[in-house]
Amino acid sequence: MTIQAKHIFLALVLLLLAGILLFLFAGRGGHGSLPKNYTQSDGEPTIWPDYKGVTIPPNIAPLNFLVDSVDDVVAHIVSPCSEHTYGGRRNGVQIDEQEWKLMLSEAKGCSLAVTVYTKNEGEWLAYKPFSIYVAQEEIDPYISYRVLPPTFVGFDELSIRQRNVENFEETVIYNNRMISEGLEGQCINCHSYQNYKTDNMMFHMRLQHPGTMIVCDGELVFVNLKTDEMISAAAYNAWHPTLPIIAFSTDHTMQSFHTRDISKVEVMESASDIVIYDVKKNRVQTVLRDSAELELFPSWSPDGKWLYYCSAHYEYKGEYEDTNELLENYKSLQYNLYRLSFDAESMSFGEPELIYDAVGKNRSAVQPRVSQDGRYVVFAEGPWGLFHVWHTSAEVQVLDMQTRQLLDTRVLNSPLPESYPSFSSNDRWVLFESRRDDGNYTRTYFAYFDGNGRLHKPFLVPQKNPEYFRHLLRSWSRPEFMKEPVRITPQQFRDKALTEPIRVPNN
Amino acid sequence: MYTTMEEEYRSCPSPSFAAFEYMNINVSKFLKYLYCAGFALLAWFYLYVKNADLMYFLQDRGRWNSTMLFWQDCIAVPGGLLAWLGSYLTQFFYYPALGCAMLIGLWLLTFWLSKWLYRIADEWSFLLFVPLAALLCSIIQLGYWVYMLTNVDYVFYHSLGFFFSVLLSAPFYECFPVGKKTKQWLSIAWIPLIAALFYYPFGIYALLAASIIAIRQSLASVRLLLVNLIVLFLSLLLVPFCETTGSTLMRSDQPWFYGFPVFEIDGIRDFLLEIPFYVLFLFALLFPLIGRLKSGRLLINQGVMIVAAVSMYCFSYACDVDDYNFHAEMRMQRGVEECRWDDVLREAARVKGPVTREMIMLRDIALINRGEFCSARYTYNNQSIPPLPINDSVLVRIKDQASDLIYFNYGESVFAIRRAMERCMHYGYSYYTMRMLTQCAILNGEKDNALKYLRLLSKTFFQRKWVEEMRPYVDGVKPLQESACFRMPLKLYKEGTELVGTDDNYVELTINKKWMYTLTTDPEAQQVALGCAMIMRDQRCFWSQVQRYYEINRDKPFPTHVQEAMLFDVYERKMSGINLSFVKFDERVLARYRSFSDRLRQYVGQGMSEEQIGRALRPEFGDTYMWDFYALRAVQTN
Repeated sequence: MTIQAKHIFLALVLLLLAGILLFLFAGRGGHGSLPKNYTQSDGEPTIWPDYKGVTIPPNIAPLNFLVDSVDDVVAHIVSPCSEHTYGGRRNGVQIDEQEWKLMLSEAKGCSLAVTVYTKNEGEWLAYKPFSIYVAQEEIDPYISYRVLPPTFVGFDELSIRQRNVENFEETVIYNNRMISEGLEGQCINCHSYQNYKTDNMMFHMRLQHPGTMIVCDGELVFVNLKTDEMISAAAYNAWHPTLPIIAFSTDHTMQSFHTRDISKVEVMESASDIVIYDVKKNRVQTVLRDSAELELFPSWSPDGKWLYYCSAHYEYKGEYEDTNELLENYKSLQYNLYRLSFDAESMSFGEPELIYDAVGKNRSAVQPRVSQDGRYVVFAEGPWGLFHVWHTSAEVQVLDMQTRQLLDTRVLNSPLPESYPSFSSNDRWVLFESRRDDGNYTRTYFAYFDGNGRLHKPFLVPQKNPEYFRHLLRSWSRPEFMKEPVRITPQQFRDKALTEPIRVPNN
Repeated sequence: MYTTMEEEYRSCPSPSFAAFEYMNINVSKFLKYLYCAGFALLAWFYLYVKNADLMYFLQDRGRWNSTMLFWQDCIAVPGGLLAWLGSYLTQFFYYPALGCAMLIGLWLLTFWLSKWLYRIADEWSFLLFVPLAALLCSIIQLGYWVYMLTNVDYVFYHSLGFFFSVLLSAPFYECFPVGKKTKQWLSIAWIPLIAALFYYPFGIYALLAASIIAIRQSLASVRLLLVNLIVLFLSLLLVPFCETTGSTLMRSDQPWFYGFPVFEIDGIRDFLLEIPFYVLFLFALLFPLIGRLKSGRLLINQGVMIVAAVSMYCFSYACDVDDYNFHAEMRMQRGVEECRWDDVLREAARVKGPVTREMIMLRDIALINRGEFCSARYTYNNQSIPPLPINDSVLVRIKDQASDLIYFNYGESVFAIRRAMERCMHYGYSYYTMRMLTQCAILNGEKDNALKYLRLLSKTFFQRKWVEEMRPYVDGVKPLQESACFRMPLKLYKEGTELVGTDDNYVELTINKKWMYTLTTDPEAQQVALGCAMIMRDQRCFWSQVQRYYEINRDKPFPTHVQEAMLFDVYERKMSGINLSFVKFDERVLARYRSFSDRLRQYVGQGMSEEQIGRALRPEFGDTYMWDFYALRAVQTN
């Protein structure tokens, strides 16, 4: 090689490396400096995500945000003992994680004051400060969710991930691309945990390598839960809080599309029952089987003495499970909330008790979850059906079991769908999914639920890059709280999925 | 004895062309420019002259944006840098001439780089065009696979990969100021180093570079052949394995070939389409050998050159998908999206042979927008054939092609979203689908959703203009009724019936069936309903829509094809209970119908088959509803 050639090659390599580094580190935020000259505005700034006036846990990751249509933005955050300034690069504010932790610890039980300054065409504007309230009670450090495009049929790209909400660390629990590709995708769904812990957890796999992945006392088993008595393989589920028992619905699902309604899709169950599965004994026991009732979404009370669920009454006029008939009457499929008493000794259930009559209000209540103190039931309520993430009028409701009255949840809800709510392990935080940002991509929201039974303004799960959710063309669906991360690796799940699932014997 | 590459190069005979030396003309130097010009012309001919519509289409089904998220998505898998760069460069096919020039430029750059690095004699340099011709073929051979491509960066990915393979195979270690012995060990260490360092940015092409290095070094020193090959084998085996351990984005058998295109659908793999890539990889591995070919053997190299040139041309010719409908569909899709109704109809009129159902639907959309759905539809060719198979017997269907565009133009925005979303899931988001999703969101009144896509499209190079055009509609500054693209979809959206169901993958059937039952008082929408009833040949719906038309347009004559259909239905199909006295028939229509009827009877009397009758009647009556009904017996939809 000639000297000249050497220099050219070295220059090329250096250029390439410099380009990569530049791209990797471009656009990162940091400390900014407060503008010296600015005009004071009377209004509060419009920031995204909207964190103004929210109540947050003291262990949440920094609430990074952005301001639209500005050249520059600076945020001045004041906590009881310190103050910091962030921004100064384009329109985003990214807060230092260590300093944020410190500010939150200082502001526990009180609030942070945030003043936003924006620059447009060389002119700075200062807005009225807004508050971020910091609760005393922490939030469960992890959440898990499915990540997928808001698709209807295909499953080419689907993963279940977990996120440490105390920082920005996100890891994959399982990704279907490890096993399938393209049109022959694998559906993975219904991840759930016993008591917010991951030593006992499960999720389903469909289509490719179908079965249910169950972790029981840290041991991984792969089970084919379909027995002759069941309508289908197991679906929506809930772990008993203390026993190695999982309650499942088993159902026939169908999906149809609207031609004009922006709800877009109707998901229906043409038949459904509820069963329980004893993980240790590998045995399925039928709990509810009534051809005129479509029972779904089982959920245990934290003391394990009640099994909550929802059910729609539907009697076929013609042939049983005539899907065309059901399609014509899809608006009549409305669900009420019920519960059954459970005796762990005899493994027997009592009679259904109606706890919330949604049908009487011409509504449909699904996905019940009971608070740890047993007093409240949070659920999603929509006009009809069970898949409220597609119903624009769907909202989160909280039922007080003492008064049997609904709490005021207006602060939680938006004109767009809300669905899949649950309580944190200390009952002080509510987690739910919402399409309020754009109507199409589901996002995860938290809201503070104070000791007086009052709900507070919800906030979007924070991201390191505040533009993340705006650019993400995938939904975060079916969020669940967790006290700890899943320890089984994705590769262990994959290897297990490649084995033959254990069959459950027929009764 | 071990010799370095540099010494090896120095020992090569100086490039000269002995047979012509007496002419004092350095013909060989002239030859390499001739080869370049020849290849550039060949590539330009196939890429731009014959496939400009395909190149535009490929960029339109691609995606690049300047967000960090897109970058992170790309670099999460091996070959990530190639994917990002490939997507970035592919968008330049928005102007096909510009994109083609850039791609050919990259190929010529690769040629010069290879020639320079491997000291390839001028008169053998034509061999370097073989892998480049393979890259050319890899693009023009795609045919209907373009609808199934999962990698949005396909056009540039492999060309860039090949370029970087050649670049990385250079003996950079020669730059280090170390002794001969150290360099010798460095040269061996270079193989795993290149593979390990560049596997993630360049994927399989980093492995190719490592392989070229090993072959070159083995040729330079036979003594170290075994060492080089063992090191190469271990590098190829371990680097992909180690670097992808823990990755959840691929199957465990994929790391070694990640990025190598596999054309597989419905369980059938088309190895023929992979041939260009085998040629590419094989020739790249031969570069060190080509560098050792001696110059001056005029007869041999000229003979080989002619064979290579003819082979390249023949291969390109054979690979090029010349199907008229395939190209016309892409032009018509673009025409419909850009509301160039005249161009769409011109394209429809230009087709000589049978057309695909998608072409018929796209043409019908143009006719609907021009208000000629019931008066001109049968003047165009409705004889249809399926598209070319994409793989063995696998046929592409409208649902895989522009179903979202078609649904949108019939006002079925939710079905359009469904189809667009399914495509995004299977083949990734593209400019096309994001534009389509934006338009559907605007039509549905989902402003925030539209803004999401506009925000992303504004972070591209060539979609910004479109974004600016859409903004006034999102902001409500301009009414949708004033837009050529939204006017008719909005009307059909509003006038169409709200139903709940599914299309079972039959796009055309779903639309026609819905509309033939739709009762509307809007004159334009009603013509769509009437036209669909005629296409479906449903007598009950047809007469119901005729009555509706009469009620809405009392003073207007019935469109030509409706008059033809009424006559045909009453007199030929013997529809009873219809009194045609309320219809003011056009004299010419009546005369043609009588003539058609007479000739039909005559031919039937002569014992001609239906097919023969259809052929015989076509020159005179091929532009009528009667002929369409009689000759194209079965209602064909897709």
